[in-house]
Amino acid sequence: MADFMLEKEEVNKHASALVAPLNIQKSPKRSRSRELSHVRQSSSRGTASVKSHSQISPPLTPRTSREGLPQRQSVQPVFHNYLRAFYHFHPSSTVSSSTDESSITVPINQGDVILVHSVHPNGWADGTLLASGARGWLPTNYCEAYDHATIRNLLNALTHLWDLVRDGENGDLLVFTKQDYVRGMIAGVRFFLERTQCLTRDSPLVLAHVGLRRMRKGLLGDLSSLVKTAKKLQETLQSNESPVPVFEQLDELVLKSFKLVTRAVRFLDIWAQDAISLSFDLSDASNNRPPTPPSDSVDPSVQPSATPNQNGEEVALANEYPSSVSQASAAATQEELDSVTSQPPRNLRLSVAFSIPSESDSLQSPLLPPPSQGQAKRLSVTHRLSYTGKSQGSRKQNLASERLNNAHDAFLGFIGSFIGLHLQSRSSEDLTLTTQQSVIACRQLLVVVEEIWERDSRRSEQLEQARDMMYARLTELVQATKDMFSASDASLGEDVVMPESGRQLVAAATSCVRSAGDCVTRARFVIERIGDFEFENIGLGLSETIFEQIGQGAQQEVEQSEPEQPPQLEPAIETEKPLPAPPTAIRQLPPPLVISESKPLPEIPQPSPLESNRASLQPAPVPAIVESPTAVSFRSSRSSLPPLNQLPTPHLPQPSPSEYSQSPASATQRFFSNSTRTDSVNASVADSNSTFRYSMRGDTGSIISQASTRATTPDHSPAKKQSSQTLVSSFGSASELRSMASEDASAAEEHLLETTFAHELVYNKDGQISGGSLPALVEQLTTHEATPDAVFVTAFYLTFRLFTTPVELAQCLIDRFDYIGDSQSVGLPVRLRIYNVFKGWLESHWIGESDSAALGIILTFATGKLRKSLPGAGKRLAELTIKVTEIRAGALVPRLVSSLGKTGISNTIFTAADTNVPNPIISKSQLNALRGSKEGRASCSILDFDPLEMARQFTIIESKLYCSIQPEELLALEWTKKNGSKAVNVRAMSTLSNDLANLVADTILLLEDAKKRAIIIKQWVKIAVKCLELNNYDSLMAIICSLNSSMVLRLKKTWELVSVKTKARLEELKIIMDVGRNYAVLRQRLQNHVAPCIPFVGIYLTDLTFVDVGNGTTRQLPGESGRDSVSVINFDKHMKTAKIIGQLQSFQVPYRLAAVPEMQDWMEQQIHRVRASDQANVQSYYRRSLFLEPREATQAIKVSPSPVDSSSQSSFSAESRTNSKDKFEFLGFQFSTTNSSKDR
Amino acid sequence: MSQREYHIVVLGSGGVGKSCLTAQFVQNVWIESYDPTIEDSYRKAIEVDGRHVILEILDTAGTEQFTAMRELYMKTGQGFLLVFSITSMSSLYELTELREQIRRIKEDDNVPMVLVGNKSDLEDDRSVPRPRAFKISQDWGNVPYYETSARRRANVDEVFVDLCRQIIHKDQREYNKRVPKPQKGRNKHRQHRGHRIPHCTIL
Repeated sequence: MADFMLEKEEVNKHASALVAPLNIQKSPKRSRSRELSHVRQSSSRGTASVKSHSQISPPLTPRTSREGLPQRQSVQPVFHNYLRAFYHFHPSSTVSSSTDESSITVPINQGDVILVHSVHPNGWADGTLLASGARGWLPTNYCEAYDHATIRNLLNALTHLWDLVRDGENGDLLVFTKQDYVRGMIAGVRFFLERTQCLTRDSPLVLAHVGLRRMRKGLLGDLSSLVKTAKKLQETLQSNESPVPVFEQLDELVLKSFKLVTRAVRFLDIWAQDAISLSFDLSDASNNRPPTPPSDSVDPSVQPSATPNQNGEEVALANEYPSSVSQASAAATQEELDSVTSQPPRNLRLSVAFSIPSESDSLQSPLLPPPSQGQAKRLSVTHRLSYTGKSQGSRKQNLASERLNNAHDAFLGFIGSFIGLHLQSRSSEDLTLTTQQSVIACRQLLVVVEEIWERDSRRSEQLEQARDMMYARLTELVQATKDMFSASDASLGEDVVMPESGRQLVAAATSCVRSAGDCVTRARFVIERIGDFEFENIGLGLSETIFEQIGQGAQQEVEQSEPEQPPQLEPAIETEKPLPAPPTAIRQLPPPLVISESKPLPEIPQPSPLESNRASLQPAPVPAIVESPTAVSFRSSRSSLPPLNQLPTPHLPQPSPSEYSQSPASATQRFFSNSTRTDSVNASVADSNSTFRYSMRGDTGSIISQASTRATTPDHSPAKKQSSQTLVSSFGSASELRSMASEDASAAEEHLLETTFAHELVYNKDGQISGGSLPALVEQLTTHEATPDAVFVTAFYLTFRLFTTPVELAQCLIDRFDYIGDSQSVGLPVRLRIYNVFKGWLESHWIGESDSAALGIILTFATGKLRKSLPGAGKRLAELTIKVTEIRAGALVPRLVSSLGKTGISNTIFTAADTNVPNPIISKSQLNALRGSKEGRASCSILDFDPLEMARQFTIIESKLYCSIQPEELLALEWTKKNGSKAVNVRAMSTLSNDLANLVADTILLLEDAKKRAIIIKQWVKIAVKCLELNNYDSLMAIICSLNSSMVLRLKKTWELVSVKTKARLEELKIIMDVGRNYAVLRQRLQNHVAPCIPFVGIYLTDLTFVDVGNGTTRQLPGESGRDSVSVINFDKHMKTAKIIGQLQSFQVPYRLAAVPEMQDWMEQQIHRVRASDQANVQSYYRRSLFLEPREATQAIKVSPSPVDSSSQSSFSAESRTNSKDKFEFLGFQFSTTNSSKDR
Repeated sequence: MSQREYHIVVLGSGGVGKSCLTAQFVQNVWIESYDPTIEDSYRKAIEVDGRHVILEILDTAGTEQFTAMRELYMKTGQGFLLVFSITSMSSLYELTELREQIRRIKEDDNVPMVLVGNKSDLEDDRSVPRPRAFKISQDWGNVPYYETSARRRANVDEVFVDLCRQIIHKDQREYNKRVPKPQKGRNKHRQHRGHRIPHCTIL
């Protein structure tokens, strides 16, 4: 670093002589220092590449590492989505350019921002110029990663949009029927303006700085135009027209967003410069800056003076008289400038562009770390992993992720047929072939995984494990096949496969599939981390020994077929060929593989400050550049594409000619028009104009900075939400004051800059919202262009208390009401939705206990803001708040309407109550007997009644409880709370279930005669079968459990007397209620059920527990890894919870069965009897069981001398240890005795 | 040898964090969304002493109150994790009853089993002294005792691997028994139990 400082000083000395501002020198200087160390190498390589192209040359590092190579090597290569050109690069000026090549090598200018699609190891990147939409290859060493906290959201939004459009080209246009993606852009712009403190027209910075003001206006114009395009697209899609105009609109959409971002970048450049030169209080922004390199520690106050006027770098100052600066004067200044300063107009622009990187140096996040030499061979092409992930695959088949998917799919396909073969045909010939195919496929997959693993500098251990595991599985599979063949050969000599070994094979194959899945998951994870890349070759790097065991002939066969497999297997990069011709047919959009490895990067322009100075003054090579981008449009593939210059000009209020010339909007012309020369003049004029005045202000800079500090501080006050309101209103007043723009424009701005939190949302792969901040979620609840997703709304209502408080929610809704304004197109619909959200909450989802805290706020809102805006709604909401209070005071019913989220189907099935109710199967004598037993005159047995009727009555009792389960009981593990659990109904369900189980055990164990016990068992099995017929799985489970409990199951003599038929039935039931494979059978059945039904509640309870435990409460916003990553609510977790609860609720439909009160009374009486008896615990039942059928000597397990077992031989009724405290003491005693008596 | 599938049952009273233990073990760290409702939610392939086995874990978390169902769960298990919280003495006591139940339903004294004291990260709230828990594990027949922290993912895999190892050994013993080498079974097994040094692993 020391020498670096020295160099800086040196630079400082030269500063006044430099054209570019001070900071700029850092970059060329840096490259010079690199040049010193690398120049020989690179130049020699350059010549070598011409002669022999076989050499895989390490990429020229795009930026030199100051820290030195060793440190760099440890750096994980990070893929940057955006680069910014540091130098001009014009391919025609470089050596060895054929005509073909220039068509795909895209020229770049200083300051150009590039969306990168992939980076080849030789340092060339496939990118799209935002300025022109041109796509092609460009040298990364001319560029530098572009990223800044202020603009990051916007860039991310653009990346997202780009991915969406890529998807859209593949026909996936669904997303464009909503406008979420545009909201992302809006949010990005908003965030950007907020961070730059230019959100409102009144903000001091905007007032003070004409350039910024214009840029801001232009930015909003661009945004408005983008939104319009999006709307048009939406309409087109909804009207279902032919896809052609849609594609054109997609093009337009992308170009407009490019334009928007380009302008934002320029905005940021100007802003950053002025922010520093004026020493604005930028604590907000600067806090988020990455650590400033030492070179930037130059006193900012030096800079303005060090920035010479001749440079055209302008620090004009309008700050002193912000409002008095008239258009006319500005225009005048501009003309002066035109004549005086800007001899070649391009210079102005260049210098502006040139100043950009210097500024961004201090602002930027870490530079693109150049791949180290060692990695060079591996890093073929790095690709941006698409957010949406669907699109690129079809084209970039060589992408690692794509290869992985393909290989996995192929593998699954083969192994699927492999397994299928075993289940059906038994031809061993087929089998051999399929086995081999699967093995080959598996091997392919392993190769891909291997490649990915090696690419990962961290060498993910987990991936390695998974890979090894899979390899082992494969070996097993092969071995199993081999075994089988040898076995069949030996035993029968026929092509008959033993079923046993077949099963084994299938098992092996299945486990192979499983481990492959695991492996692929891990590999994907790694890819996500290191960025996608492309394969160079497909060398099968794995040991092939195990595969050889299968049989050579077949092996060869497969080998032959191999080349026919996915075409991407062919080595796509021909290292031997000199500079292969790039695809002229540009239909293959990304031509990433065509560039020869050895193609050298162009030499970086001479880095000495003086020379670069000179370079920037040379206008010569530049003009041509601007034309070529248009030739290669970003979607050059489509021949029908209209020429870019025919695109509608940015949507802006029609300005007068004089205005036009100085409007920053004119700058955009430069990017999109073919008449390069004149337009560039225009642009540079605009720039110089605004900045010139600043330069005049140079001396008084410090004074102004103080003033502005004071002025900007209010913006940092906590009342940030307020600013959004003032924003809206400020437009109106501002336009009146200054007539800068027409009324139309300000109105457009108003709803354009609609506050949005779309950037704080996370979507999952299915496009569902999986996370977001509270404001973002509330926004989704109240979108203006579409009715909110019903599932989302239900989940939100159900779970919001888990991630926010009612007060917070109410406040957030009211904030939304405030910031959305009352515009006809956006404000009013949203406000109505906000009212609806409140209404739904109060009507159907109100929980007085927790929500009453928010009642005051809601009432104030209803009678205040809401009534003012929507009188009717305000009145109704106010009424509701009162209603809710009354009900809360009066009844225990926690809600007005108990129709929460029941999913449609089940409700419709429920028809009028009286129709079609089956008659109870019960005779008069039975009823009399029941009545008698109630009075204690007679006693009944379960054998006295029809099993179906008993099952019905149980079901009615159970259903009553089940239907009264409230969703709140199921949230946040409420039912597991030991004390004061509100989950009364869930608790009652489990109690009833236990009671029923105990009743079963009790009725069986009550009888001393084994024959009688067997009859009782039979009766219970019958009841269980009827329960199944009634879809009462909960009772069924209880009965099965009891019949399978140790105390019943061990009664061998009894079971011997149970008929085979009964046992078989019981087995069937057991299979249905099998707990294995995560209740797979039961879940399957429940999926196809219609209500009424009583599912086994335990499944839901376990699911809810694991959703709660297995998913975090927050998740990170994507794309912002590292230091300032933001965590938002993990809504996915709540969606899952709501889904499970929704399932449970969908069955909450009462049965159409006639109750027999007498029987129910009797049942409850029995249950109470069992519950009250001392025996109602497992231990006493077990003792009873032992008493009935003592252990046989042979079956006896080694009985530990614990008091439990020894006492079990004595009277079962003697001991009662139901009191838990007793039990504990008793157990404690056991410990002490066993400790001494036993010595194992 | 083909891949074996073993069934492990996780038991313990509510609130001891056993579901957390299971979730930590079963789910891969990077899974950003865990869905417990699919068939494979509780399956995991691991390698124990060079063997590849698949563990199917039955965790009844959330259904502790359905006491009648316990034995049904227990029946399916070949090995048991008995989990208590070191912050709750009663959660340890409740395990004693569960263990008796396992022995009854399995009619076996030497069911593979591990005693797990969870929440070791809450050392300050500890109410079960380590020696006490260890003593109980000894009394149960040298059942290994671990202290885990599901929250910090400490000792989680170790617990399952230990249990799995026990199941494998038992599997082999029974296999040996069936293959005519009758007299060895018991002795060998006892020997094995003795060999495994009773350990108390604390992280």
